[in-house]
Amino acid sequence: MQPEAVELIVLAAAALAFAVAFSPRAASRRELLGKGSVGIVGAAAIAAVPTFDLALFVVLALGVVHSVVEGKRPLALRLRGPVVAVTLLALGAVFARVQGPDVLERLAAVGIVAGLAAAVGVLPYLHPIDPEEQLTSSPVVWLAFVGPVLAAVIVERSQSFLPVDAAGAFGALLIGLGLVNVVWGGAAAWLTESEAAAWRYSFVADWGLVLCGLGLIVADGQRAAILVLFSIVLCRLPLCLVSLEAPREKAVTRRPVNLVVAAALAGSAPFAGFAARLLLLRAATQLFWPLAVVLAAGMLLWLPGSLRLGRSLGLPKGRQAVGVALVLAVNVAVGLYPLPLLLAAHL
Amino acid sequence: MVEAAAAFVAWLGASVVVLSDGRRGLALGVALGAAGIAVIALDVAGPIAAGSIALGGLVAAAGRLGSGREGWHIMPAGSTPRLVLCIAAGLLALWVAAGVATGPGAPLRFTAMVVIGLSGARVLGGEDAPVLFTATGLLALSVALAAGTGLNAPEPWPFLAAAILAGSIAWISPRPVRAA
Repeated sequence: MQPEAVELIVLAAAALAFAVAFSPRAASRRELLGKGSVGIVGAAAIAAVPTFDLALFVVLALGVVHSVVEGKRPLALRLRGPVVAVTLLALGAVFARVQGPDVLERLAAVGIVAGLAAAVGVLPYLHPIDPEEQLTSSPVVWLAFVGPVLAAVIVERSQSFLPVDAAGAFGALLIGLGLVNVVWGGAAAWLTESEAAAWRYSFVADWGLVLCGLGLIVADGQRAAILVLFSIVLCRLPLCLVSLEAPREKAVTRRPVNLVVAAALAGSAPFAGFAARLLLLRAATQLFWPLAVVLAAGMLLWLPGSLRLGRSLGLPKGRQAVGVALVLAVNVAVGLYPLPLLLAAHL
Repeated sequence: MVEAAAAFVAWLGASVVVLSDGRRGLALGVALGAAGIAVIALDVAGPIAAGSIALGGLVAAAGRLGSGREGWHIMPAGSTPRLVLCIAAGLLALWVAAGVATGPGAPLRFTAMVVIGLSGARVLGGEDAPVLFTATGLLALSVALAAGTGLNAPEPWPFLAAAILAGSIAWISPRPVRAA
């Protein structure tokens, strides 16, 4: 198993432990543990299987299982994302493996990047959401729980069969798609009416940074990607859970805790997102400095959306207050000293 | 020649899945598709792979016969766009597999591309669980072919995994969606 994938599985397990420990309702805790364990096993299987093609079968199986979990969205909507992802990834693999002109290699890169976007649920393949739906059956599972492992595996395994000439197109497509997601996700998290949709778009914006990091072939880009994935799994996901799990108990407030949470979500210093953004800007500067300017401008879009999402937590009390404090502490620790996280991923 | 005929049968099977709404039509489509894929898998990856695909397709077809809308319902009213899709996808895949790509194995390339594409398109356009799961099962079988593309001696594991997945999916009966 590749080290990044192992690390992301451990992070997902930690996020599940957080959800179980700090969920406000006992019934919800049991359900989270059961369904979350299935997700962890699925993510581990994606990373453990030896080939790209076997990973596609695991994604398909996981997609089918997730689509039949009790939820409010129709089956067709829930199944489409994983099936379209597997379709595009498989077509990409076919194009990469056949002999022929260069255009087939570029089509392979398009298929794999589009398949990755469809699997995770970022633009242009946003999975529809239902604000009333539970987190276990919502698209957030793909965005923040299984998606990070899947992205690490797909990007690493596709290098084994993508021709060298297609690697440039692959990176450029990742960066282009990443920028679109940064801008769209950041603006939509700020402007959309629904709170659940705002959380979803904030994940999309973070994924934009991940895609840019994965597309920048220098080491700092990969390091930035793993740090943003960390902040998705162990910052945004737990805070989203706290915000959405107790809708009747919260009121929109502007207390100091809301500002601190907003700072963590926006990737301000000293949280983990800040280190990720610095590394990403450094990587972009090494490769093509105007890209760093565009990324820096895009990063400003996190501020209004994060302030809104920070306020949506209300005033956490009891068990949830402990959970929020723990998330913030872990993110400060990783933001100040990210080296162990990067070393564990061999980056 | 046998491979070319198998590729045509696989395209026909995928097209029947795209054009059918009834359980018999869907079962026939998945059985035809699996038969075509199995013949190509025999040449590409050997008898274990071919047998797995054939068995998986048979189990998937049997499972589909047990649930879904009664009857055949092949090409119901309003299915002209689906028919155009099947023909266009076949022609496009044929052009790419035989005209754009080079080297031996054109039937394998054609079958992989057209069955993957049509199965994915069926899931995008479908709403009913039996239709969705039939197309997903056929997609699993065709992804195994993608694993065999470009390799001299592919291992049988992807074909076994595809067979298990396709056979299992066809027997799933999802719970109805709760009213909000």
